Amino acid sequence: MSAEALIQLKDLTKTYTRGGETLRVLDNLALSMERGGFYALMGPSGSGKTTLLNLIGGIDRADHGEIRIGGIDLAHLSNAELARWRAASVGFVFQGFNLMPVLTALENVELPLLLTDLSRSQRREHAQYALELVGLSDRMHHKPGQLSGGQEQRVAIARAIVTDPTLILADEPTGDLDRKSAQAVLELLTRLNVELGKTILMVTHDPAAAEVARTVVHLDKGRLGRIETRPREAAGA
Amino acid sequence: MALVPFAYNLRSLIVRWPSTVLTVLGIAATVAVIVGVLALQQGFTSLFREQGREDIAVFLRQGATNEGDSAFTRERAMILMKTVPQIAEDAQGRRLVSAECYLAVRRNKTQGAGETNVSVRGVMPMSFEIYGSDIRFVEGRNFVPGTDEVIIGSKLANRIEGARMGEILQFNTTPFRVVGIFDHDGPFSSEIWGDHDRISEALERPVYNRVVATLKPDTNWAELAQRMDQDPQVPSKLLTEREYLTSQTRVFSFVLSALGVVLAVIMGIAAVFTATNTMLTAIAARTAEIGILLSMGFRPHAVFLGFMLEALLIGVIGGIVGALAVMPLNGIQTGAMNFQTFTEVAFAFRVTPPIVAGSIGFAAALGVLGGAIPAWRAARLRPTEAMRRG
Amino acid sequence: MPPVRLVFRNLLKHRTRTVLTAASLAVAIFLLCVLRSLLVVLESGIKASASNRLIVQSSVSLFVLLPESYQAKMNRIEGVERTVRWNWFGGYYQEPKNFFAQFATDVEDLFEVYPEIVLVEGSQEDFFNDRRACVIGWEIARKYGMRVGDTMPIIGGLYPRTDGAPWDFRIAGIYRSVKPNVDNNTLFFHADLLEKAIESGAASGPEGVGVYVLRLSPDADRVRVAETVDTLFAGGPQRTQTASEAEFQAQFVTMIGNIPFFVGSIGGGVLIAILLATLNTMLMAAREQTRDVGVLKALGFQDGTMFSLMLAQSLILTTVGGMSGLLLAFATQEPLAGVLGTVFPGYHITARTALEALLVTLLIGVLAGIVPALRARQLSVLNALRSVG
Repeated sequence: MSAEALIQLKDLTKTYTRGGETLRVLDNLALSMERGGFYALMGPSGSGKTTLLNLIGGIDRADHGEIRIGGIDLAHLSNAELARWRAASVGFVFQGFNLMPVLTALENVELPLLLTDLSRSQRREHAQYALELVGLSDRMHHKPGQLSGGQEQRVAIARAIVTDPTLILADEPTGDLDRKSAQAVLELLTRLNVELGKTILMVTHDPAAAEVARTVVHLDKGRLGRIETRPREAAGA
Repeated sequence: MALVPFAYNLRSLIVRWPSTVLTVLGIAATVAVIVGVLALQQGFTSLFREQGREDIAVFLRQGATNEGDSAFTRERAMILMKTVPQIAEDAQGRRLVSAECYLAVRRNKTQGAGETNVSVRGVMPMSFEIYGSDIRFVEGRNFVPGTDEVIIGSKLANRIEGARMGEILQFNTTPFRVVGIFDHDGPFSSEIWGDHDRISEALERPVYNRVVATLKPDTNWAELAQRMDQDPQVPSKLLTEREYLTSQTRVFSFVLSALGVVLAVIMGIAAVFTATNTMLTAIAARTAEIGILLSMGFRPHAVFLGFMLEALLIGVIGGIVGALAVMPLNGIQTGAMNFQTFTEVAFAFRVTPPIVAGSIGFAAALGVLGGAIPAWRAARLRPTEAMRRG
Repeated sequence: MPPVRLVFRNLLKHRTRTVLTAASLAVAIFLLCVLRSLLVVLESGIKASASNRLIVQSSVSLFVLLPESYQAKMNRIEGVERTVRWNWFGGYYQEPKNFFAQFATDVEDLFEVYPEIVLVEGSQEDFFNDRRACVIGWEIARKYGMRVGDTMPIIGGLYPRTDGAPWDFRIAGIYRSVKPNVDNNTLFFHADLLEKAIESGAASGPEGVGVYVLRLSPDADRVRVAETVDTLFAGGPQRTQTASEAEFQAQFVTMIGNIPFFVGSIGGGVLIAILLATLNTMLMAAREQTRDVGVLKALGFQDGTMFSLMLAQSLILTTVGGMSGLLLAFATQEPLAGVLGTVFPGYHITARTALEALLVTLLIGVLAGIVPALRARQLSVLNALRSVG
């Protein structure tokens, strides 16, 4: 087996109260995820998959349980520390892309670098490199409004990797895309995982997306369902 | 033409209530300030204009703009008083004419607020017959002619030091005793009155400032005014008391009007900008809804009118709130310096229906101005584009 | 490093809204600068008053004159070096609206008692030797295109000539006042001329002296001298009220009423309207930027940074608007000074007024921005991301 798991979840619980009723979105979940893995989180609506992603990404807090990532228990971090941890460790890819409409592609990708100590020219370099990786160097001075959906998502991915984070968390990354763009995005994610060794967690409904992942984790009503693993060679195409 | 149901516009205003409230308040503040200034102006001018009588004649020296400038020597005043045939007579056959001397005298304000100038008027007994029941005593009695007694207008009571029954007021080197307090609906209520001989001697003013008279009812005023202007012995200027008092409000009234206009423009601009901003954002957020309305069959001008009505409503509500906020001012006593005579005059704020109506109208106009461009943009949306963008 | 670029871009994105808000701020700050400067003019005249001069006036009324005989008596008081008569002439040039101050005075003593008045053209000798001569302030000279040697006809208001003609004064000099307590809008001429004209019947008008100005010796006790004068004339024929020059100037201001209060109220009203307008804009911007705030926080930006960004947005907007208003005030300084010159001499925007304008601008920026800034700081990432904006 590989070295100690990158992500270790234990007794993870998250509840919501709505109208007098308490719902358990995550129910004493326990799970391990390896460094370098490509995980797809699947399940019906309300299964808690997005909540799980948010908790791992540090943008939500659990009510109970442990989230250890790289040895650090997120529950012990203050809000400020959590923000710093996210900046260093996580890259987000959202369904709605969430790029800043007033900034160019290059400036969008550069955003996370503002949280580092790099100089201006160094930031530029890194951002350009990331855009090259996703194949959008020729669009670097365009604003999101001038890009197609697929291109926007690739810029978002560039933004997600520019600080070389430990984890890439993607929430329905192909949800708003047409077939062709979706495929391009999935190919990109696969490359990032296989060639650059990035650990990727992806919440998805899309069976095609599930195909490229090597491990599919099923959730139902906040509990772990079956886990399918595919051998490395059989993944992607 | 089917109009967009107003309930839709109204609901939108309520849903986006923070912006609506801020816009309404901006318009309300503008209206409140304007109404305040106008109420001040109205209080001042109505004190003069409305209380001036049209049947009392005021004779001033030719070329004088107010009685402070005007001067008649004793002889000339007498000639005037005795020879003008249009002067009426009372039941006892005495001519209803009087000469008055006038001076703006320094007095201290109460509570150590500094100095001001108070109108002091030396009158003949006939003055009281001429003004008649306009002068009403609320305390004490009238002064005895030829003595060092004075009566004071009721409005001076809380504003000037020593303005009380029995107090001694010193004019130059002569002490005068306050023996009565009188009320007058016009500017006399801020004046001190005494015997003309005693006052003019105390103040070392051996001249009269004006002559007042009741004229016979069938007098041709225009003709008489012209004759007095060309009179070889005592050339003088003839005005009705109302004309005279109105002329005294000119400068102050003008200054306040100018102030009102400047404030209306500046604060109005801010209010219009706020309204425009609010509505532009509202329309941007409701683009999809507008698209739906248009595709449902509502014509562009219906959409335009709907938004204009929203804007109008904001304006009117703002105007009402602003007017209500300032309403308590009505009737509050204040005082100001009449720049033309440099004397202190006390009067009350007057918030009149025309002021309120006019201000609300102005507020409505502000709302409409603010809403015009946004409403226009909304009406020009194409349904499909609108629904896609929203 | 906070993404400041975002703030500028966001302001530029909604250009109309930004311009409208900044413009209304500019107009309001401009008005406030003008109002403040009017107050400054009133105060500076008082502040610059000489401490070695006393003004003796009638205690009865501004419109009553003092006897000529008082001059000799006051000259004999210990501490009094010189006395000068000042008589308000109250005339105008050609039309009543061309109104400015004219004083009949003891010309030979005028420059001694008022060293602030400096002749920049013409000569004192010439002025002293010709009884029909006058000196005028440079602003009058400029406004009516007058030069030394010209004749300026003044129509007598208080002292009309019996033949109905105007008073012809020959301009012997043009002066400039070096301090704000004396303005540049006055005409001085010989008191003797006026006296002789009334005596001979060539003109009519009240006899006597408007005010006496006393110059005190350096070691004189101001209060004691003032008391001496007033006691001397307590028995008449006209009682006097002797005041320092500062008090004399101030009395006109307080007589007009509580100007600072009035101006303050108006200023306050305008500020409230502007604050509401700016607050409205900032709240709108905040609402639109909710999702962006969520994204930034997700990326790892701190809550405090979001607070700073929102506040910066407000401050940048208000600073641009406010400074534009200040610039406008500076730009209109000359024309306004020309218009207001007779009533508010020396109108100009001082460094202190500019500083006050800046502070008010910043204050509005903070007040308008604080609520959106706090909100941005508190916003939870998830709620922000879910927002429809």
